[in-house]
Amino acid sequence: MTLSGWEAVFFWIFAVAALVAGLLTVLARNAVHSALFLISSLVSVAALFVLLGAEFIAGVQVLVYVGGVMVLFLFVIMLVNVGAEERGREEIFNRKPQVVASIVFSLLLALGLVYAINQGLAGLRSQDKAKLALAERNQAARQESLRTSATGTTKITKDTETVGSSLYRYGGLAFEIASVLLLVAIIGSVMLARTAKQEAAADDVDPELLTKSL
Amino acid sequence: MNQIFPGLILLLQEESRYSQVLDNMKHPDLSKFLVIGALLFIIGVAGVLTRRNIIVIFMSIELILNAANLNFIAFSRYLQDTGSVNAVAGQVFTVFIIVVAAAEAAIGLGIVIALYRNRETIWVDEIDLLKW
Repeated sequence: MTLSGWEAVFFWIFAVAALVAGLLTVLARNAVHSALFLISSLVSVAALFVLLGAEFIAGVQVLVYVGGVMVLFLFVIMLVNVGAEERGREEIFNRKPQVVASIVFSLLLALGLVYAINQGLAGLRSQDKAKLALAERNQAARQESLRTSATGTTKITKDTETVGSSLYRYGGLAFEIASVLLLVAIIGSVMLARTAKQEAAADDVDPELLTKSL
Repeated sequence: MNQIFPGLILLLQEESRYSQVLDNMKHPDLSKFLVIGALLFIIGVAGVLTRRNIIVIFMSIELILNAANLNFIAFSRYLQDTGSVNAVAGQVFTVFIIVVAAAEAAIGLGIVIALYRNRETIWVDEIDLLKW
């Protein structure tokens, strides 16, 4: 698997965009800015998914993460944010020794991971050399076998079809469990975010009594 | 030494090695995607460890999960190229990670709202009821 030509150019653009936006997510003073940088990072990673030939996952990423989760985040920031950060009095990071230790740990982790990835992949590639060479030769034929779109200018990939059939063939039970998990999450967050008054109404208790005990 | 800093040594050596690095840059492969995933993961870890705002910590966790997704998709593509039997398993797993991340965000933000109602703070070092 190697990208070339414009694909390589777009890879570097989106890779750098994802990393810079991710870094700014952590460094931004205002939580709303953090959320917006996180959105750009997630969209850049979705573009990398497209480069890797996973169009369905890229769509899911944009719809669910950017359209759903990040909107939820922004709502909660608006509800909770006390504006202390913008006034600039509050420190946004932990105490200095903790931050220094974290950064040193992160840099060591980065060096170790990059080294391990390069070493491991060299071994993996030498093991799969024959298969990769075969794939390279068959790539043109595979491109040719794809269906053409109605306009006749582009090819339609089979990615969504294969993901769908694999999801229901091998992951049927996990799929059902995931739906139950989402249901539990919905009910749980509604329960957690109730006010004392709403809680009292649901439990049929006098609200005065409850606020007094708090 | 050569093992630890391969990029540095390559840059210092003669031009043929330099053009090899340039060629590597022009043809990004699986290792580049994995390195980007690792760096995103580390940025997320650093965010969790250093920030005081609990909402930004949640966002850093999303960044970590997303880095894992990138690794899964990259390996899925590699397995497709090498002709594995169930090559899209990585993509299927990514769907489940996104589902779990959405559930986690919903519950976590519910907890943040309940916490803010009772304690009036979003700084993690002030949330110390269980500290003795």
